Amino acid sequence: MFKKILLILLIINGGVMLSQNKIFPYEYSKVKLDNGLSAILIPMESAGTVAFYTVVRTGSRDEWEDGKSGFAHFFEHMMFRGTERFPGNVYDSIVTSIGADANAYTSSDLTVYHLNFAAEDLETVIDIESDRFQNLKYTKEQFQTEAGAVLGEYRLGRTNPRSVLFEELRNLAFDTHTYQHTTIGFEEDIKNMPNLYEYSLSFYQRYYRPENCVVLIVGDFDKANAKNWIEKYYGNWKSGYVEPNITPEPTQTEARLKEVVYEGRTLPMIAVTFKSDEFDVNNKKFLSKIPFAELAFGTTSDLYKKLVLQEQKVTFISAQPGMTRDPYFFSIFATVKDEKDIDYVISEIKNCIEYFKNNLVDNQKLENLKKRNKYSFLLGLDSPRGVAAGLPQYIALSGGISVIDSLFTNLEKITPEDVKKTVNEYFIPERSNTIILRGKK
Amino acid sequence: MNSTKLLIILFLLIQPLSVAMTNNLNIDNNRLVLLPVKSDPSISLKIWFKVGSQNDPVGKEGLAALTAQMLTEGGTTNNSYDQILDKLFPLAASYQADLSTEMTVFEGRTHKDNLDVYYSLFVDQLLNPNFKEEDFNRLKNNLLNYLNTTLKYSSDEELGKAILYNEIFDGTRYAHVLQGTISGLNNLTIDDVKNFYKKYFNRNNFVIGVGGGYDEKLVKKLWTDLQKLPEGEERKVEVPSPKKIEGLNVTIVDKNTNATAISFGFPINILRNHSDWYALALANSWFGEHRNSSSHLYQVIREQRGLNYGDYSYIENFPLAGRRTKPPTNVSRRQQIFEVWIRPVPNDAKHFTLRAAVRELEKIVENGLSQDAFDQTRKFLQKYVLHYASTTSEKLGYAIDDKFYGMNGSHLKSFRDAMSKVTLEEVNNAIKKHLQYENMEIVFVTNNGQKLKDDLAANAPSPIQYSSPKAQSILDEDKFIVNYKLPIKMEKIEILTVEDLFK
Repeated sequence: MFKKILLILLIINGGVMLSQNKIFPYEYSKVKLDNGLSAILIPMESAGTVAFYTVVRTGSRDEWEDGKSGFAHFFEHMMFRGTERFPGNVYDSIVTSIGADANAYTSSDLTVYHLNFAAEDLETVIDIESDRFQNLKYTKEQFQTEAGAVLGEYRLGRTNPRSVLFEELRNLAFDTHTYQHTTIGFEEDIKNMPNLYEYSLSFYQRYYRPENCVVLIVGDFDKANAKNWIEKYYGNWKSGYVEPNITPEPTQTEARLKEVVYEGRTLPMIAVTFKSDEFDVNNKKFLSKIPFAELAFGTTSDLYKKLVLQEQKVTFISAQPGMTRDPYFFSIFATVKDEKDIDYVISEIKNCIEYFKNNLVDNQKLENLKKRNKYSFLLGLDSPRGVAAGLPQYIALSGGISVIDSLFTNLEKITPEDVKKTVNEYFIPERSNTIILRGKK
Repeated sequence: MNSTKLLIILFLLIQPLSVAMTNNLNIDNNRLVLLPVKSDPSISLKIWFKVGSQNDPVGKEGLAALTAQMLTEGGTTNNSYDQILDKLFPLAASYQADLSTEMTVFEGRTHKDNLDVYYSLFVDQLLNPNFKEEDFNRLKNNLLNYLNTTLKYSSDEELGKAILYNEIFDGTRYAHVLQGTISGLNNLTIDDVKNFYKKYFNRNNFVIGVGGGYDEKLVKKLWTDLQKLPEGEERKVEVPSPKKIEGLNVTIVDKNTNATAISFGFPINILRNHSDWYALALANSWFGEHRNSSSHLYQVIREQRGLNYGDYSYIENFPLAGRRTKPPTNVSRRQQIFEVWIRPVPNDAKHFTLRAAVRELEKIVENGLSQDAFDQTRKFLQKYVLHYASTTSEKLGYAIDDKFYGMNGSHLKSFRDAMSKVTLEEVNNAIKKHLQYENMEIVFVTNNGQKLKDDLAANAPSPIQYSSPKAQSILDEDKFIVNYKLPIKMEKIEILTVEDLFK
């Protein structure tokens, strides 16, 4: 996670901050249309290829109505069903004929549509993409058929214990906020999707609006042309975004623990999480948990060395700081070799946290982490896709990529003392949610 | 003289120069793959050792995998594994040993700034592994866990594919999965690993690949340093000859599942250096381009009928297909199969879906591609192939595979060029020559195995219920699919229980 953050930060001026040398070679510009649509243009040398991303700042977080979980992801599928001008099969055949690599994904806070293609096809891509965002049209029949594919995708996920663990974790940690469900949604809601045709139209009307979308273009292209095409093809898109009515999650008051059984065989898995805050670039407490994830639980941490390399009781351990629009959690995931060690591993994780409540993280390690993130960023810039792929999360969180500037500056200032303070404030039992998953015997 | 001729002459003049440059390094051209990209701030290293899971000794399946892991996830005589992790950490660089059936590629990438530190760790790892008991135990256990739990119980799709390869290559050294077998792994000792290393990771059994913004001195140094590897020789392994498949053979992995994974296929005698390959690749792209909605199978099974998440076909090995969107590199092999991958379908649609897929295969074999399909796919691939390798590291991977297959020039370039020359007739001839639908291995991972066995053997109709209304044209076509004849004999259907697999 930290790696990704830095990736973005440095795009703006990370190099200056890190080494007084500008390390990011690309400059970007922003276009803002009257209807609220933003476009970010990042020209770079790339042997004639371009990455085109549309970020919709709507994800499973926005599924606030009862029985509608999983809808943002489902809707992502519907976006491939075409318009009057370019019906689904025509859209497909255009994408095919230009040999574009096209796909989409959905997560808690966003839905992203992306294409990689030859630079000469940029106008074509802007034409077909802008059209489906404004004029999507599908029949009830097509809608219902797609629901079957989504159910197939859900079934696929259930054969993976990690998905089951994650689904149970969300459900345990949240009571009222929409983060209660994962992106794929609750099974009963997915099964009911074929009946929600009318709802799907309203979903499109409310969320697929220019104020809620950001277009990102990276690669070998002419900036002036791209700007003209954005104005030409997106200019008539009507604004009208309606905000979701999400119920905030009340403050958790006691520790929660749930044991679940996976319908198959697996090594036991555990998730230990602590509620924290929403993404806020000016919240030092929030930012300090980002380096903490790597320093306390990453591959160079003492805990990793003890549990994975020396005692060999754990085959996998990793922590995610959690960066979301609304308050979420910091999570530690571990796969345990033997069931009898589950309690031991949980207590080791807790001991590790207690240790950092009383002791500072090693300053040299913190500096190494900063260096690592610089090179991690540089190594990620090996193609337009590499540059583009890291940006959507920040667009979802803040609406643009300028936030990265201050994010980077602030992360650079994090000290071992800040980390210690954060551990003391967030990592307390009443904020915790723990899942223990075992396979069927 | 016309300009083409002039270009050819110029080309011929330039060619020997580049050979001479390589010779300046005093390195055998057959053992060197260079991909200089001056503007690239990173350097990619790939050392291809001519060894893979096919070299596992009988009864010690898993040895190649464990040795490869010991080399990159274990310590050396100079650094313990945790010290290595600490040193790599600030560089944001790593290396790994990618194992496949015939290749092990020790590879990694670093930023130029960190080359010295990175290079010394990289080479130290290859030259001075210490093969410690604690690393051996940890990594062996990981492989056993993979076979005992992950592969059997966490991904029915990967399981189905593993069994498909198992059945097709039964009796050959291609049959077992890369991770080996449970008994094979249990038989291994640390001395087996040391001996395997000496035998295969020797100074005459590798090809060096270097790409990105490197300096020629690096290549020289790498070559010189790797001469410190043990003395040895390249060891050729016979190309496996899979048994002839007669009729439709079915293997059912019986386990408690809420959806059914299906894979089927048969060996094909064509590699990418074959003159028909690009024509067949075009046909395969139309029929089942990986993770692409242009795939015809995807259209029939997912798009029109909503039965699953995707349906694809392959003429080259494509491991871990669920985790990547583009073909992998360095998984080359001398015997390929044609493979169809049907992602999980509802249990009550399994017989129907198999019928629908085989029927489409029959149609392409019998009728070939239409002019429209041909035109569209040709155009598609001309540009789509660009995305197969967008980074230096990926391009270097392809260049090494070019060496493996003895390609005349770059495969990806030839692929694109071929798309402007290939004819519909060549494509349809290639289909006729290399594809068929009557002799195949079919694998189901599903519940109620006995019921499926009875249904298949009886060729019982497989009516289909959709959760949503379908167009009349689809329903009309379904009538043919429901009763489509799949001649499967009872004695050709085998039921396996998941607990017994990979022993």
